[in-house]
Amino acid sequence: MTEAPRVVDRSVIAAVRKLPEAWSSWRTDLPASIVVFLVALPLCLGIALASGAPLFSGVISGVVGGLVVGALSGSQLMVSGPAAGLTAIVVSAIGALGSYEAFLAAVVVGGAIQLVLGGLRAGVLGYYFPSSVIKGMLAAIGLILILKQVPHAVGYDTDFEGDQSFIQANHENTFSALMHSLQSIQPGAIVISMVGLALLVTWDLTPLKRIRLLPAPLVVVLVGLLLNLVFKSTASSWTLESSHLVALPTPASLGEFAAFFSFPDWSALQRADTWRVAVTLGIVASLETLLSLEATDRLDPFKREAPPNRELFAQGVGNITAGLIGGLPVTGVIVRSAANVGAGARTKLSAILHGFLLAGAALSIPSLLNYIPLASLAAILLYTGYKLANPKLLVSMWRQGVTQALPFVITIVAILFTDLLVGIAIGLSVGLLFLLIEHSRQRCYEIVSPPGAVLKRVRLHEQVSFLSKASLAHLLNNLEPGSRVEIDGSRSAHIHQDILEFIGDFRQTALLKNIELRLVGIDLPPPGPTH
Amino acid sequence: MENLKRLFDNNRKIVEEVTASDPEYFKRRAGKQEPHFMFIGCADSRVPLESLTGAAPGEMFVHRNIANQALNADLNVLSVLQFAVDVLDVKHVIVCGHYQCGGVKAAMGDQSYGLVDYWLAGVRDTVRRHDLELRVIASPEERFQRVVELNVLRQVYNLSRTPVVQSAWKRGRRPLLHGMVYDLQDGLLKPLALHVDGPEKVQELFEARRESIGD
Ligand SMILES: [Zn+2]
Repeated sequence: MTEAPRVVDRSVIAAVRKLPEAWSSWRTDLPASIVVFLVALPLCLGIALASGAPLFSGVISGVVGGLVVGALSGSQLMVSGPAAGLTAIVVSAIGALGSYEAFLAAVVVGGAIQLVLGGLRAGVLGYYFPSSVIKGMLAAIGLILILKQVPHAVGYDTDFEGDQSFIQANHENTFSALMHSLQSIQPGAIVISMVGLALLVTWDLTPLKRIRLLPAPLVVVLVGLLLNLVFKSTASSWTLESSHLVALPTPASLGEFAAFFSFPDWSALQRADTWRVAVTLGIVASLETLLSLEATDRLDPFKREAPPNRELFAQGVGNITAGLIGGLPVTGVIVRSAANVGAGARTKLSAILHGFLLAGAALSIPSLLNYIPLASLAAILLYTGYKLANPKLLVSMWRQGVTQALPFVITIVAILFTDLLVGIAIGLSVGLLFLLIEHSRQRCYEIVSPPGAVLKRVRLHEQVSFLSKASLAHLLNNLEPGSRVEIDGSRSAHIHQDILEFIGDFRQTALLKNIELRLVGIDLPPPGPTH
Repeated sequence: MENLKRLFDNNRKIVEEVTASDPEYFKRRAGKQEPHFMFIGCADSRVPLESLTGAAPGEMFVHRNIANQALNADLNVLSVLQFAVDVLDVKHVIVCGHYQCGGVKAAMGDQSYGLVDYWLAGVRDTVRRHDLELRVIASPEERFQRVVELNVLRQVYNLSRTPVVQSAWKRGRRPLLHGMVYDLQDGLLKPLALHVDGPEKVQELFEARRESIGD
């Protein structure tokens, strides 16, 4: 782990210093950034819609996630932006605080809280997410992508793009939406998404894959766009109307464009509610970021590890910026990061460029972007989902035994039927429970005497936590009356108080059972009051 | 052949006698051994170890060689020691010499006896190191006795230097090392160094006289 920044200057300098290095990978990162941008655009709009915030706030958040967080982050492949996982919090917060401007003040404070968390090195929490749960989360997001994108792929675009909850914002659930979508199929959407999927699956088999500047997802979008134009020019009934296309707000004038930005209402800081929302945002956004960071590290083909405390710092600066100019709160986001990896990105240049593209496109060609069919993007996300929820992953997890497989499966099911954060909370509890069980089964000692020795010599390990009490108790309670045992703690750096007390208690049992107990390098606490 | 037959005859007779009074005697002895003593003694046939200490079968783990030596390069005695300390957890390790020891006698003279000379080199060395002390003893008989005693002390010192004993001492004050000598004339054991249970005791007993004991 590289050192997390404590002062602003150092990390900014480090980020700037790394830029020239980053520019050298433009050949892979520029095309990847275009793909991420195309995927991100409808997600930003969809999440803003679902959050009950101004549509453009999602784009602002995406730009900040790319430019600010991307530049400061230590992660090479994670993309940040507005998160589906926060929509529920944002909706209720805007309602509770009364105005979007008041909410923005809470976003700024939330960002400051993330700076504090980074300073306190809370990012190390990320290291304690069990691997099985992170893998379960990735697989669940993959499945969600597939389930939620099938309606978009067939032209049933009633739910917002990027929804991850089982109970959708449009009062359907994942499966009812799937059923309804089959009854209102748009032939044009199916043709576009199927052609797109076929391109994605076969692209790597053709010599075309060598053209790095033309990643498959980009081709999918272009082909989808052209197909719809062909439908339109032939006045076909397959033509997709604007409700099935990207819908970026198109300002008629610069003044109208300026109106897209909103600014924090600082008077809201006088209310306790604002602070409550800020703390919730600071903590939940940090958790979601750490989860995404951990997940992205796993997807990284170069197996790089991103520093989590520096990430909290970057996200904090990002949220302060987003709040100040009217953006939704940002977090690290997995779907866009996975699309980034899938499009062949190598460095953070891709994430930064996607921010530039979002900003530039929103300014210059909003009407052009509005020709992109959602079905094309559905094809890209379906393929991304398939990669995340690869059946091979399921099989390999299953082979690792029940202590890995069960938290994995429970995480998937929990996320599928609730939402990302609740599902992860359930997965984490199960994962930690299994970790506890696994640990308490682990022995904290070595028997160093040969089998059959008159004196059983037990050497305690370097670290003897209270979890290993069960294994030690099992050993000591099964000693024959009249036997001899030596417990050697001289090589242990730390023996938990509970274990010491247990050994102290065993000394009494040993007397009763006529067991000769010898202690080496163990200082027992003086016997406490009898209870 | 007659003598060998007597051994078998006696064996059968003793077994019959013992089983008559205690039918389970041998079955009981065949169980797990948990001896408290390890004994390093001379191979000399005049040292009736068990009968002179009253040790019952299962009580004493025995290693015997010429002149009761515990040489640090002797795998045999080191293995026996390791088994006794690490596996059997004996509490006492005893080196027991005896007066009129043929081995010691041979080491004191100039005559060559072949292979055994190599084995006795250590004893010869002890004699040489204590030249000053021995020379003032006028009586050859008393000088012989003194060499027997010095040899026992030397072996106790050797034992204290073995990795087996050193690591056991680090874990607790076991085993206790003892040096003693058996007098063939009156059948009594004479203690020379008792309860050596740690480096401090070794220091006190031997290293103060390091020059004469030698290392
Ligand atoms: Zn002898």
